[in-house]
Amino acid sequence: MEKGHWWTVALTEQLAGAKPLAVVCDGRQLALFRNADGQAFALDDRCPHRRVLLSPGVVKPGGLQCPYHGWTFDGASGKCVDIPNLRRDEKIPAATVRAWPVAEANGFIHVFAGEGEAHDRLPAAAYRPQGREYTGSAVAGIGFDEYLDVMLDGPECLLAFPGVLITDFFLGEPRRDGAHLVLDRGAVWRGRGLGPAFVSDHPLLVRTRVPLAGGDIRVELLNAGEEALVTVQVAATANRRGTTSLAWRGFAHARVHAGPLGWRLRRLAGRAPFAVFGTIDGRAIAALEKAPSLARRGIIPIAAHRHEHACAAEESFA
Amino acid sequence: MNKEDLTRATVAADPKRDWIPSSLDLRDTWFPMAYGAEVGSRPLRRIVHAQNVYLWRDNGRIRAAEFLPGLIERMRPGASMFTGGSAYYPVHERYGYVWVWYGDPERAHEGLIPLIPFLPADGVGIPRYTQRSVRFDASTALSVENLIDLTHADFLHANTIGDGQSESDVVEFSSTSETLTRTRIVTRKSVAPVMRWVGGVRAQYQDLRAVLHVHLRNNLCISYPSFTPGYAIPNVQPFVPVGRHRSRVDQTNYTVHAPAPFRWLMPRISYIIQPQDNAVLRPQNARYLEPGQPRDMSSRFDAPGNRYRVLMTRLAERQRQGDFSYGADADPARDIADILGMHG
Repeated sequence: MEKGHWWTVALTEQLAGAKPLAVVCDGRQLALFRNADGQAFALDDRCPHRRVLLSPGVVKPGGLQCPYHGWTFDGASGKCVDIPNLRRDEKIPAATVRAWPVAEANGFIHVFAGEGEAHDRLPAAAYRPQGREYTGSAVAGIGFDEYLDVMLDGPECLLAFPGVLITDFFLGEPRRDGAHLVLDRGAVWRGRGLGPAFVSDHPLLVRTRVPLAGGDIRVELLNAGEEALVTVQVAATANRRGTTSLAWRGFAHARVHAGPLGWRLRRLAGRAPFAVFGTIDGRAIAALEKAPSLARRGIIPIAAHRHEHACAAEESFA
Repeated sequence: MNKEDLTRATVAADPKRDWIPSSLDLRDTWFPMAYGAEVGSRPLRRIVHAQNVYLWRDNGRIRAAEFLPGLIERMRPGASMFTGGSAYYPVHERYGYVWVWYGDPERAHEGLIPLIPFLPADGVGIPRYTQRSVRFDASTALSVENLIDLTHADFLHANTIGDGQSESDVVEFSSTSETLTRTRIVTRKSVAPVMRWVGGVRAQYQDLRAVLHVHLRNNLCISYPSFTPGYAIPNVQPFVPVGRHRSRVDQTNYTVHAPAPFRWLMPRISYIIQPQDNAVLRPQNARYLEPGQPRDMSSRFDAPGNRYRVLMTRLAERQRQGDFSYGADADPARDIADILGMHG
């Protein structure tokens, strides 16, 4: 198995109350649930007794109870702790479901899948919302690796900032920033001027940060001064049959009121400053040329972060 | 996909090591393919083990063939061994069902139709309200396991059948080379919601003696649950294997001796129970076909179900060796009224 990663599998509010949630994390079916104290757990969504899904089950004080015969599994260890039909003095068979480490941060639920010790660097750690948040989830009809590629080659196929036209002119090549590839592309306000072809310098930028491992994507709408107007954190992970699970949160920054009148009115009306597409236009994706994604696939070399060497040098002096 | 899953995908499920319910294809048996009342002059299409069976009446006479009646002459050269090349299956009517022989037609014999002691053999007087067709999203063997297994009702069907609270609950079972019989004796259980609300049983507790008799080859399940206070609800659930993933059951819930309106409503309870079963069976069935799955764990409540797995595997192995005969211990036409506890 590959080295482990923290995957973002759901929004915190999707796992509410006593009802378990079925998710797929890197192709593996998991059952998420919370105990009475609100602590979240993740178990393989398969009862070792008769292979049924555990996620339609019921949360009991001892753990998650299988809907079929009531075998109950502890969330932390995955051990079977109860078979209700047995007499209290009878031994419970040594059945175990694989349990996965779970961590919650900034409105996302993370599961550590793969081998190795779970570290404490969570994918959404840097996501710090201000003001009203806009959230959602979907299963998109596109494979996980293709989804990340399209985020670099044509993010306008996967999301939109209403009132903004994202152009196909990306600036240079993706550069590496830690465990991510970062790429900026030009954007313009819709309905202003003659269109993107007549703009000498783009008034807006769309910056996508696509992971080299794991599935945490950050998309930002920036003004010409490279100040963020909108931030969107999109979590992607492989679902079954070549689909991709998505969960996202995003918000408009306070300086958003600096935009054109229509944009400002939409913000005042509380309209979402972005839309992540759950349904994807296959024709648009099929027509996309592979360009910056070639770097992600290792077909062309990745440009290093300009400041990386300087930072490394500073660290070595410290 | 992670690497572990990739390894799984390259290794096929191994029937020698694991129980693969959907791989079973037992022959030389009668399948109740339809209610006699449903077959008229227009052909019905039914399927057994992915094989077509067309049923119709030809001047009142029941017919079963591999092809639509108008195509038989033209298609006959393609007829299978199941009809000996004639395109016509051996067929009989009994207990309100149309029974079709699945196997070598040379060995078809009316005496091998299982005996159902509480149904009139000629089918006369079986009310249509007792007959309900349901579909299971799983192979027959998994569906039969679901029926043999009793503890699941306490969880999956708690809202209709009951909460599993009782003073004592004993399960016994016995078997022959062709049958499995399971008896459950429960004392002072909470009255099932359906029996309390529409069955007129006002008591808080009741005793239950439930016998299930399973014919292994054709998955014919004959049940005699008897409630005190209350009444018996004899029923037949013939699981017909449509294929590896689906089965069809033309049930007869013989509630004619129960009070109204329970008599009419109870047979319809399958419309509530059966989707609950399908919700677990559908993903379960798929996992028995996936390679590299860990083997099942069991508790003592699985003893009858595990015996069923052993008997089915044994029977399949015997048929693989070319032996399709019925053992001396297992005459399908034997009177099982005593086994079912019909006389007290």
